[in-house]
Amino acid sequence: MSERPVPVPDDRSRGYWDAAADHVLAIARCSRCGTFAMPPDIVCSHCHSTDPDFTFVPVTGGGIVRSWTVMHQSFLPGFDDLLPFVLVDVELDEQADLRTIGRLLDGPDAPLALGARVVVAFEDLADGVAVPAFTLERDPA
Amino acid sequence: MSARFAASDQVAIAGYAQSPVQRHADKPLGAVALDTALAAIADAGLDVAQVDGFTTGALFPTAGAHTIEDGVSIVTANWMAEHLGVNPRWASGFQGFGQIPGTVELAVNAVASGAADYVLMHRALHNPPGRYHGNPMREARGSAQWMAPQGYFGPLAMIALPYNEYLQRYGASRDEMAAVAVEARKNGARIPWSFWHDKPLTADDYLAARVIADPICMYDCDIPVDGVAAFVFTSAERARDLPNHPVLVSGFGMGTPTVRRIPQHWPLDDIMDTAYETTRRLWEHSGLRPDDVDLPQVYDGFSPFVWFWLEALGFCPVGEAHAFVAGGGIDSDAPKALPALSGGGALGNGRMHGVPQMLECYLQLSGRAGDRQREGVEVGVACHSSPHYGGAVAYRRA
Repeated sequence: MSERPVPVPDDRSRGYWDAAADHVLAIARCSRCGTFAMPPDIVCSHCHSTDPDFTFVPVTGGGIVRSWTVMHQSFLPGFDDLLPFVLVDVELDEQADLRTIGRLLDGPDAPLALGARVVVAFEDLADGVAVPAFTLERDPA
Repeated sequence: MSARFAASDQVAIAGYAQSPVQRHADKPLGAVALDTALAAIADAGLDVAQVDGFTTGALFPTAGAHTIEDGVSIVTANWMAEHLGVNPRWASGFQGFGQIPGTVELAVNAVASGAADYVLMHRALHNPPGRYHGNPMREARGSAQWMAPQGYFGPLAMIALPYNEYLQRYGASRDEMAAVAVEARKNGARIPWSFWHDKPLTADDYLAARVIADPICMYDCDIPVDGVAAFVFTSAERARDLPNHPVLVSGFGMGTPTVRRIPQHWPLDDIMDTAYETTRRLWEHSGLRPDDVDLPQVYDGFSPFVWFWLEALGFCPVGEAHAFVAGGGIDSDAPKALPALSGGGALGNGRMHGVPQMLECYLQLSGRAGDRQREGVEVGVACHSSPHYGGAVAYRRA
């Protein structure tokens, strides 16, 4: 079992982690205005509803790279064997500027550029615990 | 807030003290803070009993699992008053991120409103034993669950993403950033209390340094230190009767973004959109224009902030700060350049979290910079933190 920190779901995040365990990326969406929020908040940051009743909606998992960094040192347990690893800042296809951050599993020499297309992948940390990550999308041709 | 600051130029800095900036002080942080506060009060020509207001921003800017203990790893305003033996009329702390502008504003407002006549403002920074940002967490709860499980953790990854976004968008390079670190260390090397006193850095040293979160290398980060600075604020009128030439506070620009993000996710556009509103507020609030500023002091706790602030202040066009700096644009020894890191900044002093920018404005505008004194300096702007969480303070020589 990985020594990496495992997420501890709470009332506002359980839908995200339950979906991830099934290798599905599901993003919180405000039931009042339909705006996605990553991560979910107490109130909707778009329509400011104090009763947003966020629901976790499966998304395609596709997006574009807005930035990246190659980590050569980790400040957490469980990552040293993975160094160097890439983190990508991804804008998901579902909504303008809907961004998340995950590991890019293609390795530190992956050919990255702004706007490169990625698709979600998952890392299984433990039984029933998976963390969303990304891989470069293969050329459809 | 109204456009123009009602208390503009009505409150002054009357004195200061700065402790040595060290990796680890030989006294507990609270003891260093008390020594520094007493020195600042004496420097202002006051007795402790006259100081009736206290303020600070007490944030301990670590991602590590270090213990927060008042007097040991932080020093609050109330701790300071209690240990000086003062029952304060007013004591308050700034709770936001980017401590200096918010704390200066608290001090100025307290004096302007009459909540206190003489306010001691301090900032105490601690370097704990062990790794500064290392964290042994095995379970990621609360906000950490959105970061730690995928290894996105700590301020280095936080700044690496917008830095690389800038490099890629504007065709800039790490090589150009060497000029930032070299300039900060050149100026810091001239400052007796700096951790980097007499230790300048070459561009070759910079480019050979260990890369931690590519493109961020070791010398893009300020070094954690123990250090304390203190300033005494009072009315401009009272300050005229005190020993030092007063420096007036003309206005502030601050702001915070409203976009929902993963914690510590700072996209470049979030930073710059808020930055432009912050600087617009600064000019409006202070009644100043960029052309009025003799002494801009930009924040450099991570080197990319220097580029961001220069663009936000309007000193160079969007996307061009990298070339401006690499071309000698902030060389403090070049007569026509902007001396934007003349005080050494955080990279040239150590992790004093915005103090060097404020202190350099105070020293130069009050004519107290000694060998480093610049000619004809009337207006300074001190910038602090990331432009989207900190802010800027405009100062004027009385």
